[in-house]
Amino acid sequence: MLLPSFDYYRPQSLPEALSLLGEMGEDARPLAGGTDLLVNLKLKKLAPKVLLDLGGLEELKGNRADDGLVSLGALDTASRLASGGPEVPGLLAMGAGALGSPQVRNRATLGGNLVTARPAADICLPLLALGAKAVLAGPNGEREVALDGYFKGPGYTVKEAGEILTRVILDAPRPGVGGGYQKLGLRQAMEIALVNVAAHLELEDDGKTVALARVALGAVAPFPMLSPGAASALIGKPAQETCFSEAAEAAAAEARPIDDHRGSAAYRRDMVRTLTLRALRQALSQAQGNQEAQA
Amino acid sequence: MSGNFEVIGSRAPRKDAPNKSTGKARYIEDIKFPGELAGALLQSPQAHAKIKRIDISRAQALPGVVAVITAQDVPDVKYGVSPARYDETLFAVDRVRYVGDEIAAVAAEDLATAQRAVEFIEVEYEPLPVLLTVEQATAEGAPWLHEQFPDNVCAQVEQEFGDVEAAFAGCDLIQEGSFFSKRQDGAFIEPNQCVALMDSDGVLNLHSSTQVPHYVQRTLAMVTGLNMSKVRVVKPYVGGGFGPKASATPIDLAAGFLAMKTGRPVRMAYTREQVFLFSRARHGFTHHMKIGVKKDGTLMALDHRATLDGGAYSSFGIATVYYAGSLLGGPYKLPNMRYHGLRVFTNKPACGAQRGHGGVIARALFEQQMDVIAERLGMDPIELRLKNMMETGDVTCNDLAMSSLGMRECIEAVKNGSGWDQKKGKLPKGKGIGMACGFFVSGAGYPIYRSETYHCTIMIKADEDGGGIVVYTASAEIGQGSETTMAMIAAEAVGIPYEQVRVKSGDTDFGIDLGAYSSRTTLMTGHATKEAGENLKAMILETLAQELEIDQSRLDIKNGLIKISGDPVDFSAIRIGYIKEHRGWQDQPSGDELTFREAARLAYLRRGTLVSTGKYKPPVLGGKYKGAAVGTSPAYGCSAQVAEVSVDFETGQIKVERITDAHDCGQAVNLTSVEAQMQGSVSMGLGEALFEEVKFDGQGRILNPSLGEYHIPTVMDMPETKCIVVESGEPNGPFGAKEVGEGAIMPTIPAILNAVRNATGLVLDETPLTPERVYLAIKKQKGA
Repeated sequence: MLLPSFDYYRPQSLPEALSLLGEMGEDARPLAGGTDLLVNLKLKKLAPKVLLDLGGLEELKGNRADDGLVSLGALDTASRLASGGPEVPGLLAMGAGALGSPQVRNRATLGGNLVTARPAADICLPLLALGAKAVLAGPNGEREVALDGYFKGPGYTVKEAGEILTRVILDAPRPGVGGGYQKLGLRQAMEIALVNVAAHLELEDDGKTVALARVALGAVAPFPMLSPGAASALIGKPAQETCFSEAAEAAAAEARPIDDHRGSAAYRRDMVRTLTLRALRQALSQAQGNQEAQA
Repeated sequence: MSGNFEVIGSRAPRKDAPNKSTGKARYIEDIKFPGELAGALLQSPQAHAKIKRIDISRAQALPGVVAVITAQDVPDVKYGVSPARYDETLFAVDRVRYVGDEIAAVAAEDLATAQRAVEFIEVEYEPLPVLLTVEQATAEGAPWLHEQFPDNVCAQVEQEFGDVEAAFAGCDLIQEGSFFSKRQDGAFIEPNQCVALMDSDGVLNLHSSTQVPHYVQRTLAMVTGLNMSKVRVVKPYVGGGFGPKASATPIDLAAGFLAMKTGRPVRMAYTREQVFLFSRARHGFTHHMKIGVKKDGTLMALDHRATLDGGAYSSFGIATVYYAGSLLGGPYKLPNMRYHGLRVFTNKPACGAQRGHGGVIARALFEQQMDVIAERLGMDPIELRLKNMMETGDVTCNDLAMSSLGMRECIEAVKNGSGWDQKKGKLPKGKGIGMACGFFVSGAGYPIYRSETYHCTIMIKADEDGGGIVVYTASAEIGQGSETTMAMIAAEAVGIPYEQVRVKSGDTDFGIDLGAYSSRTTLMTGHATKEAGENLKAMILETLAQELEIDQSRLDIKNGLIKISGDPVDFSAIRIGYIKEHRGWQDQPSGDELTFREAARLAYLRRGTLVSTGKYKPPVLGGKYKGAAVGTSPAYGCSAQVAEVSVDFETGQIKVERITDAHDCGQAVNLTSVEAQMQGSVSMGLGEALFEEVKFDGQGRILNPSLGEYHIPTVMDMPETKCIVVESGEPNGPFGAKEVGEGAIMPTIPAILNAVRNATGLVLDETPLTPERVYLAIKKQKGA
């Protein structure tokens, strides 16, 4: 298959990139790993006149930890995130490791996953559950947007055409915090989830009571969604099967799956329940493990 | 049954391994000709419509466009696979029958221009009712896709062997079941591609990624009106075929016409989506079977109905629908069998042959029912199979002769190899174990077109210096290792080391070979190669005997050395002659024995270039009933597999953890290649069992025409696979060899089905076993 013709720019700084983007407006598409963009160009689903390669922008690279927060560069690849490291929460590493195949993970980026905003995106779900914020740089400076509220539809977010997603900010990994990631598909790799669930649990110092919880659901709404019902079934309760089951029920009730050729809505709803329960168990085990390791 | 071989049965490194592992292997994509034009196809966006008007003027006017052709520009010749059912034209004449049906082709200076020109062709369609299912196509008043096929019936088969009703009347137990499978894609790694060009001899040369150079040559000659001698087909390395590449494609033909029209090389290639549109892969099958047995488990009768959703054209379908019935004749003794087969046209891409051809889903249901019967009789499934299995010398009720059959050895090998007795009935919840058997032809007994032609011919030429030999074969190396196989057979037959054999293959200028399909190459091309090798050896030894003035029967060649029986013979004159000819060389022959090199050189000096030939066609095979040819073969491979699975009751996910696989290939030519075919079959069968399904929307458009959304197994999905090679020694095979390429897939799906049944108690009747399908069945079972 042929790529259509386009002009190619590789700006060397964020201001240069933003200025080019401002000039060219809707005609330009930023290019990071290209795992979605280049495929869609070949399939003629997109026909931008210009590709703006973000690969030269130092502002989008590297991870920083500061004052209990970490800031991850938008150009971080899925394979780097999957291999973990002190700044990368375990939940994010799990999601990134479930994306595509080794070849795809070597190209796909954190920022690309957030901007492409597919309903089952393997990096979006963990970030949503982790309460992350996206940093959007535009002609008038930067703004921080919580991911809860960032997604608007499949491939559609609050990011405006003139903006570039530069970084993601989230709480640094710490003891008593754990995550669980469950992905259901047909095969073990190169798979878009039929349903995926990311669960984030923060325990009180007692190691039992849930201080904070977020459950993110994939492939059951037009975009990755949080289940507020699941969170409220957990917060303030002892982290155990009873409230995990209630949370799973709430998540299943709040999911908005549809029938498509990959699966039926009814099956997906049932799987939200099962995967939420499993993700919460996994998150609890990780949180308690952290706490014990610390103690 | 290991004969006393020097080369056969070893793990000789594959001839293509150095090129393929270093990226030097040349596929069509890598072969460029000066002045190439790029071709593109216009394919129908409608599943069923009349063509009211085609206007190519805007496309022709586009700068860079060299030629645009439609049905008006090519002879009105119908083609297909089976001559009795030629129902395709290269371009739609007045009607399109599926999304993807070919309407026109363009040749332009570059691909972007060719593709743009295709968009500039205007076609006015008048929609017709779209028939996407067998039910729609056979409904009262449904329009016929082809005038010559009333009621959309492509083929109907009625066969009865023995007396099924009488046998049922005497049975103690009757078991009935149905099965539904989905259309597949071949999912070979290299999409079809070709380049056509006229040479200065007026020969149309087609370089194509195909399994069957000869059939492509024949079809291209027939459709263009050229003599066979004016068409040459060359197949470079090919990235897999699995059946869908076993006939000429529209791009083979269109590139040929465009090259003739423009006088320039024309390249055409399918995208992955076009591979799905062309299809010619596994049909969707519906089977219903009624099986009767005696109390002691003796199989008495089978009543079998099969319906095939064929798509828009016949393709291989006539063979498919016959195979779906005939391949149940074995490997169990079944005295009475009735088969009703029906293949129906629908407005979807045509289905054809794929690994295991028509037999795979029929085998799946039959083996599943065998397990249910075993349970109902209180027998172990292995015991039931051992009780009924055929042995060497048995003939099926439909006249297929098992000249060798290591069925017992295969069953016992997987029973012991899997630890069956320790596991069956003793596994924890969620785990299951199941087994199944199968058998398959070692090459179709008859060519696709009716002819007394040899199925393959071979030429071997000895190097004039005696250093080695070159085997010329028109057979098709498509990744299965046939070049290596022929090199090993030639080495064994001549009596020289494997390293001294070079193979040139895949070119119709080298002779006749029907190609890589029906698991025929090792047995058939192997026979011809063996014969040519033996002839070459005889020529050399005849000359040598004359020179030494001894009887030829005293001479033999082994591992590159001349073996002389009886009293010592003085051969110093030959050696001195050779050494004198080669002054300056450092590797002069020495030692107590005369070498092949000296003997072959001598033979050249006495008779000129040494060329020997070999040929093969099977004897007249099979019964006299209608359709008796389909299923015949000079030999049959057989196999057994044990699958071990775990089932997640909360999601319906199945994980195949282990496969123990035994296959009787008669005699392994290359042990590594035999194991590779077994592993490949497991992978393909596993994909069909668990994942693979081509899906359509209501307008006949494919919803998942990519390897992202059409799921074949990844290496992560492959179970641990233990391969056990059984060698029964096939009297009709070269050095005792028979097939492994397709027979090995037969037990995979039913072994998985039976293991899942063992884990869940569910008799699942629909593949693929997606998590949702399994989950719903578990839920239903709980509710019941």
